[in-house]
Amino acid sequence: MKANEQIPRNALVWILLGMAALLAPHITRLPLWVVAVYGVCALWRLQIYRGVWPFPKRLVKLGLIVLAGTGIWLSYGSLLGLEPTVALLLTAYAMKLLELARRQDAYVLLFLGYFICITEFLFTQDLLIVLYSLLTVWLVTAALVALHQGARAHIRLAPLRQSGVMLAQAFPLMLVLFFLFPRIGPLWTVPVKTHAARTGVSDNMSPGSISNLSKSDAVAFRVSFEGDIPPKAELYWRGLVMSRLQAGVWSSFNYYEVPAAERRAAPVATEGEPLRYSVLMMPTQQNWLYSLRYAESAQAGVMQAPDYRLFRPVEVEEQYRYTVRSWPDAPLAPSLSDWRRLAELRLPADDNPRTRALAQQLREGAGSDAAFVEAVLERFRQQPYIYTLQPPLLGEHPTDQFLFDTRRGFCEHYAAAFVTLMRAGGVPARVVAGYQGGEVNPVNRTVIVHQFDAHAWAEVWLDGEGWRRVDPTAAVSPSRIEQGLEQALAGEGSFLADSPLSPLRYRGIDWINSLRLRYDALTYRWQSWVVGFNSENQLQILQRYLGELTAQKFVLILLGSGLLVLGPLGIWLMRARRGPAMDAVTREYLAFCARLARLGLQRGPGEAPGDFARRAAAAQPANAEVVATVTRLFEQAQYAPAGTMQREAAQRIRQSRRRLRPR
Amino acid sequence: MSYAPEAAQAGTAPGSWRERLRRRFGAWIKRRIPPARSVTLDQRRIFIMPSRVGVFFLLCLAVMLLTAINYENNMSYGLTFLLATLFIVAILHTYANLAGLGVHAVLARAAFAGQQTEFDLRLERGGRRPRFDLRLAWPESNEQRINLIDADSEVLRFYCPVGRRGWYHPGRLLIETTYPLGLLRCWTWVDLDLQAVVYPQPLASAELPGQAAEAGSGGALPVPGAEDFDGFRDYRGGDSLRHVHWKGLARGQGLQSKLYAAHAQSDRWLSWEAFAGLGTEQRLSHLCYWALDFERRREAFGLRLPGVEIAPGSGDGHRDQVLTALALHGVERSA
Repeated sequence: MKANEQIPRNALVWILLGMAALLAPHITRLPLWVVAVYGVCALWRLQIYRGVWPFPKRLVKLGLIVLAGTGIWLSYGSLLGLEPTVALLLTAYAMKLLELARRQDAYVLLFLGYFICITEFLFTQDLLIVLYSLLTVWLVTAALVALHQGARAHIRLAPLRQSGVMLAQAFPLMLVLFFLFPRIGPLWTVPVKTHAARTGVSDNMSPGSISNLSKSDAVAFRVSFEGDIPPKAELYWRGLVMSRLQAGVWSSFNYYEVPAAERRAAPVATEGEPLRYSVLMMPTQQNWLYSLRYAESAQAGVMQAPDYRLFRPVEVEEQYRYTVRSWPDAPLAPSLSDWRRLAELRLPADDNPRTRALAQQLREGAGSDAAFVEAVLERFRQQPYIYTLQPPLLGEHPTDQFLFDTRRGFCEHYAAAFVTLMRAGGVPARVVAGYQGGEVNPVNRTVIVHQFDAHAWAEVWLDGEGWRRVDPTAAVSPSRIEQGLEQALAGEGSFLADSPLSPLRYRGIDWINSLRLRYDALTYRWQSWVVGFNSENQLQILQRYLGELTAQKFVLILLGSGLLVLGPLGIWLMRARRGPAMDAVTREYLAFCARLARLGLQRGPGEAPGDFARRAAAAQPANAEVVATVTRLFEQAQYAPAGTMQREAAQRIRQSRRRLRPR
Repeated sequence: MSYAPEAAQAGTAPGSWRERLRRRFGAWIKRRIPPARSVTLDQRRIFIMPSRVGVFFLLCLAVMLLTAINYENNMSYGLTFLLATLFIVAILHTYANLAGLGVHAVLARAAFAGQQTEFDLRLERGGRRPRFDLRLAWPESNEQRINLIDADSEVLRFYCPVGRRGWYHPGRLLIETTYPLGLLRCWTWVDLDLQAVVYPQPLASAELPGQAAEAGSGGALPVPGAEDFDGFRDYRGGDSLRHVHWKGLARGQGLQSKLYAAHAQSDRWLSWEAFAGLGTEQRLSHLCYWALDFERRREAFGLRLPGVEIAPGSGDGHRDQVLTALALHGVERSA
C-alpha cells in the first residue's frame, strides 16, 4: 500500500455526491453557514482538482478549524449536547475535503460518512429518512468502490452497480444480526438533544398556548386499543392537571410544592373490565404521558401523580411506548384533603371582580354545586359565545373581559373562565390539559392523535362523586368534541391555515386520504416493530419461534443463516469466473456447434471450422447452407479488426442456430 | 505490508529467530505454491486478510455499535450490521477478483551487472469478470497496477536492478488486490520460475594482452566501418537484424543476411589466460569489455575459459553465447 496513491476523478465525483446526500437531511437543524462551508469546500476541492487552487497550507487549515469551532459555539451557545457535536462533526467533515489528497484520506472521509449517517438516526428514525439513508449509504459505498476502479475516461455507473449488488447481498445477514443481537442498555450516558423543541402540551397554560399547538398537524401519539375503540367524544387524553393560577397563567404543582402526605394518589376503587391500550408517543422532551382517566400502568418507569395522571421521571426523548389500563367510570377522590381543597379553591385576590360577582350570583341561584355547574354551562350555551382559533387579545382582567365583552375564545379561554367561576363560587375546580379525540385509522384500527387535537377542559370536585370532568367547550361548540377541530372551525376556515400542503387538509379527497392513512399505518408498524424493537420484543419473538433459548441454538442460527446467505453467493461468484474467456462470436459459434452435435453432427477436437462445414454439408445437406453461412461469418469476424463486425456476426450466428433443421 | 518471503534482508543475523522463521516460511510456501511457469490462481495460492484500512473500518464499526448501544437506536444497529455484513460479503468479492487469474512467464532478459533486467509476464483475465486494482511486484522490481476490463490478457514488464554476475532470481511475484472496498487484502506469492542471466560488468583495459601486435587498433577506441561486404546467405537465427537484407526481402527474395568479412584475417581469441594475475571478476569484466568491443567492430572472435571453448564467430547469437559463458563462469548452471 503505497502512500502516494491518487484519488481517481470518478471517485472524487462519487465522494462529493455522497457528501451532499449526507448533508441534506441535516440541513434543517444546521445554521446556514455550515451549509455554506460545504459549498466552499466542495468548490475549493474541485479547483484543486482542476489545478487552479493549491491545497490549503497548514496554518490556514488550523485557522479554519478554530473559526469553525467558534462559529458552532456562537450558533449554539455551547459545544456540548448532541446538536453542536453533530454540527461540529459535519463542519469538520466538509473541511476534510481540503485534505483529500490520497487514498488514505478518502477512506477516513468515507468511513466518517457512514458515521454521519448514524448521527441522522439519532434525530429521527422515520421510515422515509431511513430509506433515504440507505440511498446515501449506497452512494458512499459506490465512492469506496470507485476509489479502487482506477482512473477511467468517463464517469461510469459501474461503482454504483457493484456497491448496490454488494449491499443487496449484505442485507439478509444484516436482518439476522438485527434480530439476534442482544439489546443491552446504554453503557454510559451520552450527549443528549439539548436544542430539540419541546412539543406537545406545555406545563403552563395562558391564553393562546393551546391554540398555537392547534396549528400543527404533527402526530402527538398513536393508540392501539385491545378491544373496541370508545366513541370520540369520550377520548379525553389527560396530560397535565393545572391547579395554580398566577398572573393569568395556569400551571401545575411541582413535586416539592406538594406536602409529603399528599404526594401519593389516593387509592381508587376500580370495578369491571378496564380499557386496555398501548400508546406510542412521539418525542416531546417533556416527561408527562397521556392517558384516559382513570389510568394505571404496570410498566416499569411509568409513575402516577397525586392528581391521577401518568408521568416518567425522565423526559421522553425518543419515541416511547407504554401500555395502560383505564377505568373511565371509576370515581376519583370521593374525599378531598384539606390541603387539596384549599389548593383547588385558591384565586388571586382582586382579580376579575365581575366574574366573582357573577359566580356568587349563580351559586346562590343554584341549589347545589352540581346545579351551579349546570347553570354556568347553560350560560355558555345560551349567550353568544364563539369558538374560534383567532380570539381577540385580552387586557387587565382577562376573564371579565372574555366573559362579558369579547365572548370569543378557544378551549383554553373557556376552561380557564369556567374554573375561575367555579372557584369563585366555592367549588374546587382545576384545568386539565391534553388532547381530545383523535382520528381512527381504519387500516390498522389505531387512533392517531395530532397536535391540533390539543385541548383544555376542567374538572370540578362534587361532594359524594369526586372529580367530574366538565368540558365548557362542548357547551359552546359541540362539534369540536363530536367531530373534531376541522368541523368546529369549518365556518372560519382557519384549520391548519398555516400549512397549506398538509395532507390532513385534503381529507376530503378520497385517494389522498386513503394514501395518508395507509402510510400512517405503515409508520405505526415501522415505529412499533422496527424502531421500537427492544429486548422485550426480541425475547418474545425468539421464544415464540425457537422455544427455549440456548447459546447453542443462537450460534447455530447465526452460522446457519451465514452459510445460507454466503454459500450461494460464493458459488455464484466462483461460477461467473469459470469457463474460458472468449469473445461473443466464439461463444455463439460454440453454441451453434453444440446445437449441431445434438442433431448428430459432432465437431471433432481440433477440427477446423472450414473442414467441419464441408463434412456437415455432406452429412446433412438440409443444413448445409446455414452451416456455410455461420462458418463464413465466424471466420470473417475472427480476422476482421476488433469492434467492426463482431457484434453483428454474433447476433446473426445466434439467429442461424434456430434455423437448423433436424434430419 | 509488502513482505517478501525470500528476499533475505542484509543485516539480519543468520541464526536469529526472524531469519529462521523466514526460512521456514519460505520452505512452507514453496511446498504450497511450487515454482511454475504458468499459474492459475486458486484457493491453494490465495491468501486473504483484513487490510490496515479494514482494521480501521472495524474500529469505526465498533464506535458505531457503541453509539447504537448507548443511544438504544435501532437504525444505528441496523446500519452497523449492514456494514459488518458488507465486510463479510467483501471477503468473497475480493477473493473473486483474484481467483482464476492466469499468470504466465514470458521472458527474462539478460542484463549487465549493476543495470536493470527486464521480466515480461502475461496476465490473463480468465473468465468474463473484469479485474480491478491488481498490483503486481517482485520484491526488488517496480510495481505495476492494472485493471483487466476489456482486454483478455495483458503483457506486463518489470524492471529489477541486478547486482552480481550470474543468475538473478527475482524471488516470488506478489500479486495483490484490495478491490472492491479496500477493506481486505487478497494476495499471493507466485514463483514463476524466471531467472535472468547477469553478464559481468564491462571493464575497459588499455589493450588486449597477447594481441598487442595488432597495430592501429587504438586500444579502447573502436574503429568504425572497418568491414567489407562479402555476399548474402540465408538468414540464420542469431544473425544481427542490422545485417538482414531488407531490400531483398521486400523484393520477395526471402530472409537473407548480408555477410561482412572482417578485415583481420586471423581469428581473434579472448583468453582467460591473457589476464593472468588479476582476480576472477576483474578478468571476466575485461573479457566482457573486449567481447563487446569486437562485436561492435563486427570482428569474429572466440573465447577460451577454463573448461569452456567457444569457436570464433560473430553476430548477436554468438555475442550472447560468449557473454553467458562469462556470466556463468564458476556459477552452477542452474539454481
